Amino acid sequence: MAADDVSRPPGRIGRGPGAPRLPDRRRLARRLAIGAALIAYSWAAALTAPFSTAALCCVLLPGAVVAVIAIWRPPARIPPPDRLDVAGFSYWAICVAVLFEWEASAFKDNSLWWHPALTDLINPLIAPHPLKCAAILLWLLAGWALVRR
Amino acid sequence: MTTRVVTIIGFSGVIVALFVLEIIGRRRTTRVPTLGEWLGYLMRARAGRAAILLGWLWLGWHYFAR
Repeated sequence: MAADDVSRPPGRIGRGPGAPRLPDRRRLARRLAIGAALIAYSWAAALTAPFSTAALCCVLLPGAVVAVIAIWRPPARIPPPDRLDVAGFSYWAICVAVLFEWEASAFKDNSLWWHPALTDLINPLIAPHPLKCAAILLWLLAGWALVRR
Repeated sequence: MTTRVVTIIGFSGVIVALFVLEIIGRRRTTRVPTLGEWLGYLMRARAGRAAILLGWLWLGWHYFAR
């Protein structure tokens, strides 16, 4: 796979390793503020009713923010490995394939009670508001982690 | 043991296996990459990056908007 996409084009605004770093106290304050904002957003998003426009917007908004950051303000990326060990990666591939196959077989059977889909198992788990809030926060952090890759 | 329990055990087993792989991947002497490493590798190309980010967005839509 081509690795040329990892480096930022010259002249593009970004916060790469060469960018000046904020003092420690200001960085800590900024992180705390961002963390508080993310928790507040997750809390509010978890209050929205499923299948509502508000719930859809609560998902699309972070998606739009991630897209804008990824395209116009890419953060310092964590360098990917130059190569992957095929045997090592195959363990992951097998597990992911089994998960998808197990899910697909449940989906194909219309997720009946005797063979439920993963969604039908997870939805009751994240039904309580604090747990849904935590799940949304985790999803937001995963999005940020992916942007940095 | 009902088939429902077998299904739940199957899902749990795969998810536990994913966590075990992540733990193994974080050891120094291992050939198994961490989740971040192989995702990063796939995201080297623009198409892979877009696909992974779209997958992330779909996950959010599937669990939080529906």
